Amino acid sequence: MSLPPLQRLRQAPRHLLVCEKGHARHARSRHAAHVRDHAYNCRVSFLIPECGLLPEVLKSTIADVGEYYLVRNLPVHELVAHDFIDAFVKKGSCYALTYKTKIDQDNTAALLPNGNLILSVDKDTYEELGLQGRPSKYSGKKVMRYIITIDLTDSGFHPDSKKHNRVLWALKENKPLEFDFLLAWYHTGAEGSTLVSYFSKNQIETLKPKITFSTLRDLQCPLLESNELYGKPEESCSTEELFEWLGAVLNQVSLDNKSSSFLSTYCCPQPNTIVEKAFLCTITGFIIPEKIIQLLEQLCCYFGEPKLACWLTLTVHGFADSPVSWRENEHGFHKGGENLYNFVIFRNLDYWLQMAVGTNDDCPP
Amino acid sequence: MAGFADLNLPQGSDKKSLQALLETAAHLGYSAVALNHVIDFKEKKQEIVKPVSPSELFPSLPVVQGTSKRIKVLTRLTLVISDPSHCNLLRSTSPNIRLYDIIAVFPKTEKLFHIACTTLDVDLVCINVTEKLPFYFRRPPVNMAIDRGIYFELLYTPAIKDSTMRRYTISNAISLMQICKGKNIVISSAAERPLELRGPYDVANLGLLFGLSEGEAKAAVSTNCRATMLHGETRKSACGIVYTVKKPRKVEEEETLPACKKAKTQA
Amino acid sequence: MALSEPAAAAATFERRVLRSAGEHHYLRVWLELPDGGARPSAAQFKQLVVSALRELHGEVGAALPVDVLTYEEKTLSAILRVVSSGLVKLWSALTLLGFYQNRRCAFRVLQVKPCGDWIGQQ
Repeated sequence: MSLPPLQRLRQAPRHLLVCEKGHARHARSRHAAHVRDHAYNCRVSFLIPECGLLPEVLKSTIADVGEYYLVRNLPVHELVAHDFIDAFVKKGSCYALTYKTKIDQDNTAALLPNGNLILSVDKDTYEELGLQGRPSKYSGKKVMRYIITIDLTDSGFHPDSKKHNRVLWALKENKPLEFDFLLAWYHTGAEGSTLVSYFSKNQIETLKPKITFSTLRDLQCPLLESNELYGKPEESCSTEELFEWLGAVLNQVSLDNKSSSFLSTYCCPQPNTIVEKAFLCTITGFIIPEKIIQLLEQLCCYFGEPKLACWLTLTVHGFADSPVSWRENEHGFHKGGENLYNFVIFRNLDYWLQMAVGTNDDCPP
Repeated sequence: MAGFADLNLPQGSDKKSLQALLETAAHLGYSAVALNHVIDFKEKKQEIVKPVSPSELFPSLPVVQGTSKRIKVLTRLTLVISDPSHCNLLRSTSPNIRLYDIIAVFPKTEKLFHIACTTLDVDLVCINVTEKLPFYFRRPPVNMAIDRGIYFELLYTPAIKDSTMRRYTISNAISLMQICKGKNIVISSAAERPLELRGPYDVANLGLLFGLSEGEAKAAVSTNCRATMLHGETRKSACGIVYTVKKPRKVEEEETLPACKKAKTQA
Repeated sequence: MALSEPAAAAATFERRVLRSAGEHHYLRVWLELPDGGARPSAAQFKQLVVSALRELHGEVGAALPVDVLTYEEKTLSAILRVVSSGLVKLWSALTLLGFYQNRRCAFRVLQVKPCGDWIGQQ
């Protein structure tokens, strides 16, 4: 903590990277659980080498990623109203996240599909609200931020309970909190009321994810061996090398520099091979885990027929200012609020999963 | 609110360039700034004028980037004191002084630094960053200032303009850190042009160069600025009971939260 | 699904945790210049970064390996890569740079990420 000043100049902010290897069809594989537990995702991209045209089934999966909603100036107490809880929270998975709030500066709220409403508030708001919470892990010695968790599906949270009335009073009268919210709702079965009709009195906007496709030509791709997470000299590349390469590809960095070049010395990791074309698709919006699981499943099915590609990747970025990363693990923003994961799916359905978080985060699950 | 703040935008510039500064500050992510009016007693007789009213000056304030809030603009008075007699003004009950949100002093001698830290009713003490330190920082006054909730201000614009000043900025900052241990530091810009302003995360990183830790450096552009503003608010209201008619809302706020007031200003 | 290979043999579960393992940090930056001034070419841009490092951290700073991964002259935006131990030095050098060819300028750091993949617009 208290390093001498000169050493601080050599210290970069902490971050964590977890790498896992498993098999997508293994009975106890946790890969889908990791996707499900990462609730708030703003960008999903996948890259398929040796693919010029996307199979129809993948196209329709992408088209089905689904709408989400933006409700402006929504008082938080409306999310703890029982009409809302019964219509949405208890039926299916309801996601809500405050929009344009900064987790290291502002009050922030998020509703998880398990029915937990999380409020991450500064000290002043916490004192005024009068609801019980716990100090944030990342606010230093003098606590400046508190986390309040309210379980909306708790049996003790019925309409006439003391608990419910207290929360309602705090959020409605004592310290009314209002945010712009991103909302999404996933449910199966009978049609109920929709978010649009429920919030028709508020300003609600229906938004569609933005989807972009591109085909990359003559791309240098690292060789990977599913059994070798660490890579093997002369035979295959490691997870970190792949991660770095993927970043370069997504940002259109040139991959064939020389070590003597003045501008940049970055080059594709060794060994590599040139693929004629690769398909890259990026989806941005408020993308819920259920849809990502569907996409992941379809990407696994891609290898159901013989393909030239040895592997493909799926990268998912979380919202930098979300109050949680995985499950209810507190998430913060120090100098970058990174929380993301990346799948490499191999032809035999082995997978690598890399999960990464920044300075103010717990270790991924 | 613990958003980012820049407590020093020189007010001297004309309205148009001030507007440009505000826009850049909001764009860089600052949610509050203070317009600084400087009075140097060495220059003839100086009168303390009433602070400008930001709402009159700028009918519509720019929106802070990435949020839906408008930037908050405060007023600040900085007194450059080179003689003990200059302090009398602060002790007297000049009504105009009380109208400023933040009051800072820039002591030129060790004795005045001591007085500023230990007795003057101010929120900020400015640290010289443009020349070699004219005196040593000593522990007793610095600790006393920290106990009183007074913050020390370092500026970064001189370090951008000139390499000699850059050296003084860093070395004076490090000298101060050895005594104050990274506590109660505020880093501001004193930028006269938009191109001299830097983003809050950039400034926090600069704090590492000044000898602050990661946490202390980020606090120097966020929570410490907030504490300074609250200190100013408390100072204003401590003698502002006379002004209850003028500021009814302020008084109300104070009444609902008497217990945590002390804790808030220390935070 | 094509389960041609026996799952158990193909996948032995393995997990490893890396703390601050990335060798590099990445910065997305843009250079703000007053309107109408000459725009640096890619090589001049890199030169500017190196001179900023030299100005603040001397020859040791100038020797830090920094890569200009992408640079767009039209928007003056770039992605830089630096060894992680040099991040604070590079960042502070960019922050304190005030002039390009005797005209005022400012480096705006938009994102700082420990891994290339993490850089992206949000």
